[in-house]
Amino acid sequence: MTKQEKIAPYIFVSPFFILFLIFALYPILYSVYISFFKWTVSGPQGFIGLTNYKNLLTIDPFFFKSLSNTVWLLIFGSLLQHLFAIPLAILLNNGRDALKGRDFFKTTFFLPYITSTVSVTLIFAQLFDMNYGWLNYIWVNLFNQEAVNWLQNPDTIKSSLAIMLNWRFIGWNTIIYLAGLQAIPHSLYEAADIDGAGPIAKHWFITLPQLIPIIFFAVTMSIIGGMQVFDEPFVLLGGYEQMGGNMNSGLTSAFYLMFTGFKASRFGKGSAIAWLLFFIIFIMTVINRKITKALEK
Amino acid sequence: MVHTLESRARLGGIYVSLGLFALIFAFPFYYVFVLASWSNIYSNPPHVVFGSDLMVNIRALLTQVPFHVNFFNSLMIAVISTIGTIFFCTMAGYAFAKFEFKGKKPIMLFVLATMAIPPFLNIIPFFKMMVAFGWYQTWLPLIVPTLANAFGIFLMTQFLESSIPSDLLSAARIDGLNEFQILLYVVFPLAKPGIAILGTVTFIGSWNNFVSALIMLPNPKTSTIPVALSSLFVRSDGNFGGLMAGTAIALFPLLIAFSFFSKKIISNLTAGSLKA
Amino acid sequence: MKRLSSVLMVMVLVSASLFAAGGQEQGAAVAFDPNASYDLTIGCYGDLEKAYTAVFATDDFKQKFPNVNITFQTSDFNGHHSRLTTVIAAREATNDIEALEIGYIAQFVAGGGLSDLAAAPYDGMAVGSDLVDFAMSNATTKDGKLIAMPVDIAPAVLFYRKSIIEAAGLTVQQMENIKDWDEYIEIGKKLTKDLDNDGTIDQYAITHANDVAMVPLNGGKGGWIDAGGNPLEPKAKFVGALELVQNIRNAGIDGDMGAWTGPWVEAFSNGSTATMVNGAWFGGALKTWMAPDQSGDWRVAYLPGKTMASLGGTYLSIPEYVKEDKKGVAWEIIKYLSTSPSAQLTTFNTIDAYPALTSVYDDPIMDEGLAYFGGQQVRKIYADVAENIPSNTVSEYDALILSIWNSTVTSVLTGETGMMEGYDKAKQQVLATIQ
Repeated sequence: MTKQEKIAPYIFVSPFFILFLIFALYPILYSVYISFFKWTVSGPQGFIGLTNYKNLLTIDPFFFKSLSNTVWLLIFGSLLQHLFAIPLAILLNNGRDALKGRDFFKTTFFLPYITSTVSVTLIFAQLFDMNYGWLNYIWVNLFNQEAVNWLQNPDTIKSSLAIMLNWRFIGWNTIIYLAGLQAIPHSLYEAADIDGAGPIAKHWFITLPQLIPIIFFAVTMSIIGGMQVFDEPFVLLGGYEQMGGNMNSGLTSAFYLMFTGFKASRFGKGSAIAWLLFFIIFIMTVINRKITKALEK
Repeated sequence: MVHTLESRARLGGIYVSLGLFALIFAFPFYYVFVLASWSNIYSNPPHVVFGSDLMVNIRALLTQVPFHVNFFNSLMIAVISTIGTIFFCTMAGYAFAKFEFKGKKPIMLFVLATMAIPPFLNIIPFFKMMVAFGWYQTWLPLIVPTLANAFGIFLMTQFLESSIPSDLLSAARIDGLNEFQILLYVVFPLAKPGIAILGTVTFIGSWNNFVSALIMLPNPKTSTIPVALSSLFVRSDGNFGGLMAGTAIALFPLLIAFSFFSKKIISNLTAGSLKA
Repeated sequence: MKRLSSVLMVMVLVSASLFAAGGQEQGAAVAFDPNASYDLTIGCYGDLEKAYTAVFATDDFKQKFPNVNITFQTSDFNGHHSRLTTVIAAREATNDIEALEIGYIAQFVAGGGLSDLAAAPYDGMAVGSDLVDFAMSNATTKDGKLIAMPVDIAPAVLFYRKSIIEAAGLTVQQMENIKDWDEYIEIGKKLTKDLDNDGTIDQYAITHANDVAMVPLNGGKGGWIDAGGNPLEPKAKFVGALELVQNIRNAGIDGDMGAWTGPWVEAFSNGSTATMVNGAWFGGALKTWMAPDQSGDWRVAYLPGKTMASLGGTYLSIPEYVKEDKKGVAWEIIKYLSTSPSAQLTTFNTIDAYPALTSVYDDPIMDEGLAYFGGQQVRKIYADVAENIPSNTVSEYDALILSIWNSTVTSVLTGETGMMEGYDKAKQQVLATIQ
C-alpha cells in the first residue's frame, strides 16, 4: 500500500469531522454549559448548578403537561400507526405479481413524507377549518354529527395533530415494512402452506417475527421524531402566544423548549429541557431495544 | 373457477383499501392546487374542482412578497447544497467503502451516531458563530454545515461498496492515477445512480428547510420560500388564495423531482434503513 | 475515560471563554456628524418599512440627513422578534436600529442587551418629554434606564357600522355613551341576528370574545406583576377580565372567528360583524384594504365606560453591541422618527400608526373629519384616549405570563375551566414557572 493510499481515506473523511466539530459539537457542549446557568436575554445571570433541572422536575407546571401531551401524541400520532402500516405493507406485498400499479401506490404513499411541514400545515389548516373545511363537511354531512371546532377543543387539538402526523408518516412506515416483507424468504410461507395455515396465522407466526428488526428500526425513528414534534403545533395553533392552545393541549415538549428559549428568553432552562428530553428519548430507545430483544427470543 | 373468483374478489378488496389510503395521502396535494385556483378559497361545500383565478392569485402573491426572488434563492441554495453534498459525501463514502484504514470501524460508528443527535437548542451558539464568520444573512449557513452529513455518507458508503469493483481501483493505481484523480475519474462516474438518489434527497431537504432559514435569512423579501410563505400565513391580510398559490408553486419542483426518481429513492432509502 | 472527561472539560471551558470574549464593552457612542456619510440598517416588521420609507423620502428628512443611507430588514412580526431575541442573547448586533412591539419590550427592559438611552450622550428622558407618558414609562427600567423610544401607540376604541346599528334600532348617541360592558353586551344582543332567517346567525356584534380580553388589563402591556412582586394581582381585575369574555361568549354575541383568519377578514367586508374593539391603526386597515367600499359607514366611539387602553405600539431601540460609530447616527434617526412632528405625522398618514408625540395632538390634522368615518373627528377621540392610558410597570416575566393568560382565557371561553378555577390555575402556573 502506498503512503498516498494510507493517507487518502483520512483526507476524504476529514470534511465531515471539520464540519462536525465546528457546527455540531461546539454548540452541543455549549448547551450543556448554559443549562447550569440562569441565562436570560442578556446573557448569564449566574451559575445555579442543577437548579434548572430540579425546578423542571419538581415544580414546573408545564414540563410534565408537555411531556404527557408529547407521549399522547407519540402513542396516537406516531406509534399506533404501525398497526396500519404493517397491514398496508402486507396488502401492497400481496399477490406479488397480481397487484398492478404497486409503484403508483408506493409513490403516493411516500409523497407526504417528502413535503415540508410548513406546506403540510398550511394545507391542513384549511382542511381543519370549522366552517369551510373538508373534515367538518364530511363529518357533518356524511356522519350527521355536530361541526367540530378542531383547533379549539382541547381533545380535538390533539386529534388534529395526530391526524397530521399519521398522514405524514403512515406511508413512510408502510414503505419501510414493505422492504422488510420483500426480504422474507418465500420458502417460509411455502412450508406453512403445506401445514395448511390460514393467512392470518401465517402473518402472525411468520411475518411478524421476521419483521421484528424492521419494527425496531421504524419504532425507533417514530420515537425520535415523535418526541420532537414542534412545527405542527407551532404553525397550526397560533405560535408562542397561545402556548399550544386551549388547556395547553398542543404544548409539546419541543414546543415548550422553544417557548422557554425564544419567547420567555430563558436559555439556561431551555437547554435543561433539551437535555431532559434527550435523556427521555434515550431511555425510550433503550426500552424499545430491550422489548425487541425479548421478542426476538 | 371458484378459486379465481375468490382471488379476484380478494384482489379487488386490496385495491379498494390501498386506493382509499392513496386517496387520503394524495388529496391534500390535489386540494392545494385547487385552492390555488380560487381567489376566495372559502366555500360551502368546500372546493373540489379547479377555479379560474390562478393568475389572479399569483399576481396577488407577487404584490406581497417577491416570490420569484424567494424561488430563485430556494433553488440556488438547494442546487449548491446538492452539488457540494454530492461531492463531500461521495468522497467520504468512497473512503469508508473502499479503503482499509486504522480506526475505520469506530469512525464509521461515530459518523452514524451523530445522526441520532437531536437538533435542539444549538441555535444561540450557532447563530453567534455565523455572525462572527460574517455569514449572517448569506446563503452559507444553509449550505456549509450539512455539506458532509452522516446520512449522505452512509448512503454513499452503502452504494459504493457494491458498485465499484476493487480491481478497477487497483488498475487505475497501476496506471499512475493519484488517489484524488481516481476519485474524480473513476469513482464519480460509477457512482452516478447513487448520486442521483443522494442529490434528490438533499435537494428536497434543502428546499423544505425552514428553521435555519428563518433565523439566518429573516427578511421574507430576500429569504427562501418557506420563510416567505410562513410570514404570509402568520400575518395574512386574508389573501389565502395567494398563499395557496405560493404553497402549490413550492410543491411543484418537489413533485417533479420525485416523480422522476421516486422508484430509486424509495428502494434505496428503505434498503439503507434496513441495513442501519 | 479520565482523559476523555478532561478533554470535554477543556472544550467546555474554551467555548465558554470564547463566548465571554465575544462581548464588547459598552463605550461612548460617537456623535453624529452631518457631513460624514453613513450606512444604517433598521430591523422592522409589518408595515413599518412603508411608513419609514415615506418619512425618509420627505424633504425635511433629506435636508437634515443628506448623507445617511438607510436600508430595511423587514420580517414578519414573529420572525422579527424571535430573531431579535436570538441576536440579543448571542450578544451580537445585526441591525443598528431595531423596532420592538410593546408586548416584547418588557423582557428587554428587565433583561438588558439594549443601549440605555437615558444615559449620556443620548439623554432620552429629556428628548422624550413630549412623548406620551405611559409609553415612556413602559420602556423604563426600575433603575431608570430607558431602553427604547416609543414611536407609535394604539389607543383602543370601539369601531362600529352605523348602518348596522341603525338597522337594529340603535342610535349613534347610544353607541357613544355605553356606560359599561354589561350595556355593551345588551346592545350586542340586538346586533346579533339571523338576517336571512335560515336558522344560523349571520351577523354578530363582535368577531371574537378574545377581542376584548385584554381591554380590562389596559391592553395587557405591563401590569402583570404588582408593586409587591405578586403576579396577576389585584385578583378582582383579572377575574373581571375573565368574566367579561365569559359574559360575551355566554350572551352568544361573538362569532368565534379567530383574528386574521380568512373568515375573520371577510367578516368586515361582508357585514357579518357590527363592531370591533381595537387600536387606532385598525381604522387604517379597514380603510385601505379590509373594507374600503364601506367608506362613510364606519364610526368610532370610546370603549364602554371610557376604558382607556393601548392595544399595540412600536418602539425603536439600539442594541448594545452596535458599533460605537453607528450609535450616534442611529440615535439621531430614532430621535427624528419619534420626536419630529413631520415624521410622526407622515407615519400616521401612511399606516395610521398613532403618534406617540403628544405635541402633534394639537395639529390641525387631528381635527379633520375623516370621510371614511362619515366626517367624524375620530382623531380627537384617539388623542384623548392616548393621553389617559394609565402607566403600568413592566416586568421581565410579562411575555411568559401573557402566554399563560392567553391560554387561560381560551380555557374559560370554551368552558374547560370556570373563571375562579382558571384564575387560580393561571396564578399557580405563573408562580411555579417564574422560579
